[in-house]
Amino acid sequence: MDFEFSPEEQKVIDDVRAFIKAEVTPELLEESLAIGYCYGGKLGRQFFQKFATNGWLVPNWPEEYGGLGASAMLTFAIREEIAYNRLPGAFVAAHMAGPTIMHVGSEEMKKEWLLPIARGEVEFALGYTEPQAGSDLSNVQLKAMDKGDHFLLNGQKTFNTHSHVADYHWLICRTDPESKKHRGMSMMIVNLKSPGITIRPMITLAGWQTNEVYYDDVTVPKKNLVGEQNRGFYYLMAALDYERMFPGGSYRRLFDDIVEYARKTIVGGKPLSKNPLVRQKLAQLAIDIETSTLLFYSLAGILDKGEIPNYQTSMQKIFTTELGQRITETGMEVLGLYSQLKKGSKWAALAGKVEHYHRWSIVETIYAGTNEVQRNIIAHRGLGLPAR
Amino acid sequence: MNFDFNEDQNIIKEAAQKFLSKECTSDLVRAMVEDEKGYTPELWQGMAELGWMGLLVPEEYDGFGGNFVDLMVLLGEMGYSALPGPFFSTVILGGLPLQEAGSDAQKADILPGLASGERIMTLAWIEEDGLFTPEAVKLSAAPEGEGYVLSGTKLFVPNANVADTMVCVARTGEGETDLSLFIADAMSTGLNITPLITMAGDKQCEVKFDKVMVPKNSIIGELNQGWPILKRIQLMAAVAKCAEMMGGARKAFELVLPWTKERVQFDRPIGSFQAIQHHCANMFTYLDTLTYMTYKASWLIAAGKPFEKEASMCKAYVSDSYRKLVALGHQVMGGIAFMEEHDLGIYFKRAKAAELFLGDADFHREMVAQEMRL
Repeated sequence: MDFEFSPEEQKVIDDVRAFIKAEVTPELLEESLAIGYCYGGKLGRQFFQKFATNGWLVPNWPEEYGGLGASAMLTFAIREEIAYNRLPGAFVAAHMAGPTIMHVGSEEMKKEWLLPIARGEVEFALGYTEPQAGSDLSNVQLKAMDKGDHFLLNGQKTFNTHSHVADYHWLICRTDPESKKHRGMSMMIVNLKSPGITIRPMITLAGWQTNEVYYDDVTVPKKNLVGEQNRGFYYLMAALDYERMFPGGSYRRLFDDIVEYARKTIVGGKPLSKNPLVRQKLAQLAIDIETSTLLFYSLAGILDKGEIPNYQTSMQKIFTTELGQRITETGMEVLGLYSQLKKGSKWAALAGKVEHYHRWSIVETIYAGTNEVQRNIIAHRGLGLPAR
Repeated sequence: MNFDFNEDQNIIKEAAQKFLSKECTSDLVRAMVEDEKGYTPELWQGMAELGWMGLLVPEEYDGFGGNFVDLMVLLGEMGYSALPGPFFSTVILGGLPLQEAGSDAQKADILPGLASGERIMTLAWIEEDGLFTPEAVKLSAAPEGEGYVLSGTKLFVPNANVADTMVCVARTGEGETDLSLFIADAMSTGLNITPLITMAGDKQCEVKFDKVMVPKNSIIGELNQGWPILKRIQLMAAVAKCAEMMGGARKAFELVLPWTKERVQFDRPIGSFQAIQHHCANMFTYLDTLTYMTYKASWLIAAGKPFEKEASMCKAYVSDSYRKLVALGHQVMGGIAFMEEHDLGIYFKRAKAAELFLGDADFHREMVAQEMRL
């Protein structure tokens, strides 16, 4: 048992912190916030391409693919630092597509994509959800017809958050129209600049943009098929196991801001932080953050033993996202009437950050598998409860 | 970071499981609720032969020199089996103050007997206010001749009815924290013990000190310097209690889970219903998280690092989560676990007793707030 980072890990974490301190600009933070922490903005790309020269974008990848061959523990710690510093932390290419390419892609595909991904040169957008395929992802309908040397795609995706800033679509589509559900789906990489693709913005309550993406006779070369045809759904499910994690850093940062506010703000002649109710609430959040942190690194511990997390990823997702919501709720309570004032308003507290994250936090328990779906996964996979 | 037990700890765990599953059945647990002493000398002797009382005691005092994580592993198994009796009060509440702050002579006098199981101990701290604050300690220790005279009443003293030796927290000055810890012989003249009747059937007592004489050399540490020792012991013991709760929570979950696969309603096992599945997923989450919190706090103590904040975080989190886990378990079980004969009730009651012990979640959240400099 040991609850500290190794000296080697700690050294890299310190270097990462120093790099962030030296390189982050207010403009970068503004861009990052405006696009919902997605990777793909101009300043984000500049920052992370420099960051990635140290191998820090994909520390646990082998060196030949641009990583450091480092522990999952270090990888998780770096992701947490990125999130805590409110930098773009959602990487589809580096953290979702890349590992799948490494596991199931052809040698040619690995050569073509992995190094540019590790260098932060390309970003993908997640192309999973469709209007009729939300939690029931196996009901994907976007059709990919086999035309010999290429596929021809027609259909619609929705809630594809990265697609207006990314270069490629990491797309799940139906390659066998006869098949039922998950059996006839394939994963492919599609250039988002392809003729026939239309991207329509949808603006969220958090202010950032997600998108509908329409495919109208879009041509995709066969070499962009990931792994085997009609195996896409299984790759997608397996990818959930490899290195999925949900860093709580951005909400942890917000909590630190709220604590500082409670210490400094005088109400009725004494600091808010001296109010027993406020003390209880903030202490409870600090406790939950400690718990959440342990769950987060326990996932890395499993991976570093060479094992694959089973239900634990779902548990961490549930705990951390629900905690994020509790942090914003408590923040709104602590700020009281001032909590509703938005950034730019006269009298706004903490520059309106709390109300912004409060709106944002709605989606935390919905995206990437609703927390209800995650609880089903825990019940089925973790506890062996019957499906019916 | 590494969340796993080492080889020694795995051995402790297996040995404890083997012994307790045989010797500490739920029949015994139930019988000890009715029993006046609250433990059987046979079981106690068996534990002593396995070296459990001496696990944490340094080798020079005939112990095994184990660390706090080793102890956590053992306590986890004791909690799993809902072990009754004075192990906790002896090893943690009595032994730790001596190990942490006792003189060499005091340790040599007491620890070997503790390690061998011959000496049962406890800590007499709480008084009528029911608070863990220094000002709530009013039992006085007045200097007289070559010693002190203790006068006052202690409450909620675990296993005092069978203790040979008590560590007694007494007021020795006017200042808020002018407290001292005394070692008192339970056979002393003027000492009067009345068991309280508790929800969980554990043995907690009122202990009246009516002019009880203790010698000068019975002070642990320095005169008026008892409070910092007591605070430290409180937090260590709170984490130790969490270790017990961790095992109890695991057992409670194990009592419930198979039922969801067996019990059929509407022609399906109830575990196939999402309402039940989500209750179970939440119980599992409480179990894993309260376990990690206990690991971390125990490891900090074992590694000799500052542990104050994490210990209070641990006690607050585990207290709430164990109770919630058991409550969900009752909901999943339906009426059957509301019956006295079902074992879940044992853990329901134990969870509440453990939650109240050495500070509940409200108390420890306030400790965390102080550590956060709020």
